Amino acid sequence: MGKQVAIVSAGFSEHASKRSDVNMGELVSEAVEDCLKKVPSVGFDDINAYVNGNMPAFEGSNIPELWMTDWMGARNKPLMRVTTGGTTGGSVAIAGYYTVTAGLPGIDTVLAVAFEQQSQGDTSVGLASVAYGEISILNTLGISYDQITRLLSAGAAIGVAAYQATTYMNKTRITEEDLARVVVQNRHNAAKTWWAHLKMPNLTIEDVLDTPYVQYPLRYGMVCPASDGACAMLFTTEEKAKDMCDIPVYVNGVASVANESAVLGYDGGGSAQVDPSMQLGAIRSSELAYAQAGISFPRKEIDYAEVYAPFPNQELLWTEKLGLFEETTAPEMYKNGVTALKGELPVNCSGGVNSTNAIGASAMERPAEAALQIMGKASNQVPKTVHTSIGSGWGGSLNLITLMAMSDQPQRKWR
Amino acid sequence: MSKMTQRKSLDYVKKDYVRTRTMPATWHLTSYKYKFNITHMKPFLDKLKEKKLVANRCSGCNRVFYPPRLVCGKCLVKPDKWVDIRDTASVSTYAIAYLKDSETGEIKERPMVLVHHDGSDTSNIAELHPDIDVKDTYVGMPIKAHWREERSGGLMDIEYYDKIEDDAKDIKNK
Repeated sequence: MGKQVAIVSAGFSEHASKRSDVNMGELVSEAVEDCLKKVPSVGFDDINAYVNGNMPAFEGSNIPELWMTDWMGARNKPLMRVTTGGTTGGSVAIAGYYTVTAGLPGIDTVLAVAFEQQSQGDTSVGLASVAYGEISILNTLGISYDQITRLLSAGAAIGVAAYQATTYMNKTRITEEDLARVVVQNRHNAAKTWWAHLKMPNLTIEDVLDTPYVQYPLRYGMVCPASDGACAMLFTTEEKAKDMCDIPVYVNGVASVANESAVLGYDGGGSAQVDPSMQLGAIRSSELAYAQAGISFPRKEIDYAEVYAPFPNQELLWTEKLGLFEETTAPEMYKNGVTALKGELPVNCSGGVNSTNAIGASAMERPAEAALQIMGKASNQVPKTVHTSIGSGWGGSLNLITLMAMSDQPQRKWR
Repeated sequence: MSKMTQRKSLDYVKKDYVRTRTMPATWHLTSYKYKFNITHMKPFLDKLKEKKLVANRCSGCNRVFYPPRLVCGKCLVKPDKWVDIRDTASVSTYAIAYLKDSETGEIKERPMVLVHHDGSDTSNIAELHPDIDVKDTYVGMPIKAHWREERSGGLMDIEYYDKIEDDAKDIKNK
């Protein structure tokens, strides 16, 4: 059976819309330095292997992991790059977990690095290279180019998220005010986090509702920014982790599940996931990860959650689908302050993806922040003691979900 | 044992670069050769010319795919049974895009809908009648296909969808 894996540290670079003072290598080195600063006994010599990832083609430069080896101390060491679109960060963290748990001789400590410098390249060109295949099929089947551009008029992610928001709002009978409330909570939390991008300590619900629609029902004030930033996480075995830091965070369950993509479907042939807010992939990934971690009652046992939600409706949706709240009750929980910093189940106290979105790194910042909350080293630390936390990721056309369940106790049931 | 001394700080490098130089460059997307199979689409596209809608059904899970699919991802078998489906449908979800007209500069509201055909188990992108007010659109709105005069055997043969009377409006709160 695999080795028990622990997270000993996590680090971030400063996020901004344009980090023109650094290049990609320097950006990564900032996050690596911040990560290693928290574990003084670990140097570059102690790190055995590296996992690296970013969204392909967004910066306009290929194979960046090969020329930034020196910036993260990976010279002459095993190095692997993982890119899975929006969930890149989550997949990189899971790859780091797999590398340690495999128990290869001589590989105990693994540094996982995810980054994105969106200001350097053209995001729409990168997205075109990702989605071009399916779009070209629609064109061949007789849908005019005019209609295709309209479908993707506001960019791919919001183009499909708007569909999801409509069905979710119809199902739960919420208004835009409920969506704005989620945004306000996130932006207030981001103001207390040193590395976050959109810090708005005085934002009100009225301010959000004053902004114009990007695409109904999502307004300009509700959508995530495009950031430059990097994140690093250090994985090691249970034995070594105890020497490295005071409170190691044990990774007890990981899952990466894809269901049929909503909206576009296979080869442009429609999707069998008629309701985009159904999200069978999220339900299945939470089942898998919780079963590995021995979590039977997620609502009771999980103390802190970081969910990947660029848009407020998704934050409400994922918290329900990942088993934290009952179906259609999440808006109520945000209203009652259950998810606030001092609430029963704080959600996204770093500000979430809604406030900071460096695409390749965002999905990794979720488990990283969730781990730091257990260690008590987070920038916006929740007042209560966190024992168990989760960090999720979302990608693809509403279909790929990654999830990592962490705890301060190792899980031995299934090993 | 502390290894703080061994770690090399990168500050001395950054100090020299007060302002990072930016090198502009372009990356042209030229051409792709994306391959996909359309043999399963052929009967469907031919029937569109005759104002008929057909879909294929998976014999494993009985799901009906409109437009047809080469393989059922759930059962990993080829859906080989052809079924006729009606031209009535419902709006499975929608969003509104705000597009600027390139000539006049005015911003137009255009609804973008996913249509769920009666008798099928999939939804696909489509267009609503231009006269339908976007504010009246709701999830589950019943619609009917409006055929183009000259049909060429493509998905655009259905020009748009007309709104039809909603019998279940009292029951299903919009």
